[in-house]
Amino acid sequence: MGEALIETHGLTRRFGALAAVNGVSLAFETGRVHAVIGPNGAGKSTFLNLLSGELRATSGRVLLRGEDVTRAPPDRLSRLGVGRAYQTANLFPELSSGDCVWLAAQSRLPSSMLFFRPAERYPQVGVRAARALEACGLSQRRSAIAGQLSYGEQRQLEIAMVLATEPSLLLLDEPLAGLGHDEALRIVALLREVAKGRTVILVEHDMDAVFSISDTVTVLVDGRVLVTGAPDEIRNSAAVREAYLGGEVA
Amino acid sequence: MSLSLFLVQLVNGVEYGLLLFLVASGLTLVFGVLGVLNFAHGSFYMLGAYLAWWVSARSGSLLLAIAVGVPAMVLIGLLVERLAIARLYSRDHLSQVLLTYGLVLLFNELQSVLFGNDVHGVNTPEALSFTVRLGEQTWPAWRAFTSLACICIAVTMRQIVLGTRFGMRVRAGASNPEMVEALGIDVRRLFATLFSAGTALAGLAGMLAAPLTTVYPGMGESVLILSFVVVVIGGIGSIKGAFFGALLVGLADTFGKVLLPGFASAMVYAVMAAVLLWRPRGLLGAAAEGR
Amino acid sequence: MRRQALLLAAAAALAAVAFSGDRFWLQFLGKAMIGCILAIGLDLLVGFTGMVSLAHSAFFGLAAYALALLTNRLGLVNPLVTLPACIAFAAAAALVIGWLSLRATGVYFIMVTLAFTQMLYYLFNDSPALGGSDGLYVQARPVDSRVAAYVVIWLALIAVYLVLSRVLRAPYGRVLEGIRGNEQRMRSLGYPTRRYKLVAFVIAGATAGVAGYLDATLYGFVNPAQLGWRQSGLILVTVLLGGKGTLYGPAFGALLLAFIEHYGEKVTEHWNALIAALVIAVVLFLPRGLAGLLQGRPRG
Repeated sequence: MGEALIETHGLTRRFGALAAVNGVSLAFETGRVHAVIGPNGAGKSTFLNLLSGELRATSGRVLLRGEDVTRAPPDRLSRLGVGRAYQTANLFPELSSGDCVWLAAQSRLPSSMLFFRPAERYPQVGVRAARALEACGLSQRRSAIAGQLSYGEQRQLEIAMVLATEPSLLLLDEPLAGLGHDEALRIVALLREVAKGRTVILVEHDMDAVFSISDTVTVLVDGRVLVTGAPDEIRNSAAVREAYLGGEVA
Repeated sequence: MSLSLFLVQLVNGVEYGLLLFLVASGLTLVFGVLGVLNFAHGSFYMLGAYLAWWVSARSGSLLLAIAVGVPAMVLIGLLVERLAIARLYSRDHLSQVLLTYGLVLLFNELQSVLFGNDVHGVNTPEALSFTVRLGEQTWPAWRAFTSLACICIAVTMRQIVLGTRFGMRVRAGASNPEMVEALGIDVRRLFATLFSAGTALAGLAGMLAAPLTTVYPGMGESVLILSFVVVVIGGIGSIKGAFFGALLVGLADTFGKVLLPGFASAMVYAVMAAVLLWRPRGLLGAAAEGR
Repeated sequence: MRRQALLLAAAAALAAVAFSGDRFWLQFLGKAMIGCILAIGLDLLVGFTGMVSLAHSAFFGLAAYALALLTNRLGLVNPLVTLPACIAFAAAAALVIGWLSLRATGVYFIMVTLAFTQMLYYLFNDSPALGGSDGLYVQARPVDSRVAAYVVIWLALIAVYLVLSRVLRAPYGRVLEGIRGNEQRMRSLGYPTRRYKLVAFVIAGATAGVAGYLDATLYGFVNPAQLGWRQSGLILVTVLLGGKGTLYGPAFGALLLAFIEHYGEKVTEHWNALIAALVIAVVLFLPRGLAGLLQGRPRG
């Protein structure tokens, strides 16, 4: 059993009377791909939002490398190595892809309170940005405006931006949503590459993808953990099948 | 400060607050539901006051002026909404600020051309021109009437917002404008109705205040700024917030003038700063989701 | 290239006026250039960071009053002393007001800046010690000759433009662009955005301070009306008119507005309605301003 990069203890988030995430205690091993699946409304996105600091927990704790980060704001978590990719396009629509990734890469400078030298004269940023674009197959699309990219390319850019922040923990929120078969395969291959040497928490509905790249799978139902186990166990679990009501489990 | 002086100021503060509430409630609704920042709101207050003066000077009756003026304000509101405000619904803040700023300039010119730049007094209706005695202090009946009217309107508003289908749409719109549209509710009509209601309320406040403050150019400006302060304190889209915010501002302004004559105006903004430090979205504003 | 040529031509034309010695034009264009400095500083906030502030005139007025008080009460006139002091004062005020205002977001932010502007207006308007509604005369001006004042203003305009251009090309400028485009994403990328916005607010406040100092020097007179939200509104108009987010556009917007205000007054006594019509027309029909016309194809 590897050590946990990030773990939650009794993590709960209520909206009024509804507990979207209810007492979730999970440990995510360093270097593994850990998928979180579940029927709609299970609380998966809320859970990711709690981990990335965009939502504040009602109760419970989140520990990153043993440090309590439950109340940490998103920017602090990012600097601690947590990278979040979003389900719906969350780019800078008027900037070029290159500029989008540049901003992501620039965030790794100790501080951007730099007023005198033009940005291009910080080659370390450019190198990081170019690497991320390259890894996601977008080098040719560097000058295309982000808002005008195709849907699939926007997903690639989304991942490129996160990569450029050199995260140790990747939070991926339905990276395959809305993609056609071929595009999805491309992204899955990309994710497999990206997962090497990193810890990944993957929220996804595409079960083929989930089972092909995950080391561990957790099933959430109604905000609670139903079961956590190896992909095969989950795939064959009657309880999980029932939770999905004969849904997408292959 | 003697007790009777304190009580007088308390009453004054509450009265002022109630009038501010009339103005601010329209502003916060337009803000919360229509999503529009309307700098011309103070101009409606001013227009109401000028209408009250103009009609009452010719007819001899302020009450008649109000009876005629309120529907007139509703019509003006509808006109402004259709012609100008409707174009701002999907625009950015800068456009909203500047367009309504242009409207302010326009209304000011209009007021100057139609009504002239003199200061005008307005007489209260004879029936309400007496004064009430409270110990050593006297209290004009018109002020009592005004405050009573404001309270009745506030109560009626609460009833409408909480108890009718229209009110439900308003509340829905205040918390989620996109959803309201998606549900097929005639958003255009809802917006037009809300805007003209807000305009009429501001205009009515001007009519009620006319005998108390006299009618003069630029009278809408200080009311506008204070209304913004009320909305910030009370939270955008919250009528309840506007009510308590208005009372707070009315009291702060009144007591400020008495306790710190040189810095009276600053007192209100100090209160606002204090509220913001404690609650960045206003006392009753939509709580920021999580962060 | 078109843009560079235009800017150089305009700068040269403005410089040439200094040699004419014409009293009217020196005063008029001097004032207009001060408006350009105000517009450029505000564009940093509005056009590049996406922050609509109504407090810009407040910092303008604070620096102007600071100069008046320094010369009148403390006898300090030397520009090497008074200029940095007044700018520092405006910047410090921007730091405090900015910090408080940035506790609010979106429209709340706009309204808070409005409220603080009005607070300062009333502070100066209601205090006899500060001149009251009549304002104050600046008893000794840091730059006495009309021509010298004009040249100083011209130099300041060039300097402000060059410095801000530089800042906007630096990593800091990229951050501002990112905040304008998608602030939430910037936070999730690791940027503590509020800090960067506060710095932008202070930089803008400092440039407004430069403008205020120069205005007091040029006219020898300060008054509360310079501090109100109406003034801030007019500066915003110049930004939109010229084209927000271009830095040079708003400067031209300011020049244009100065001409319109001047000649409008001669044409009709209802020139305010003229300005109103212009503002409404620009918002509805020319949202990208004059610079938008120059650029032709839409950005992105």
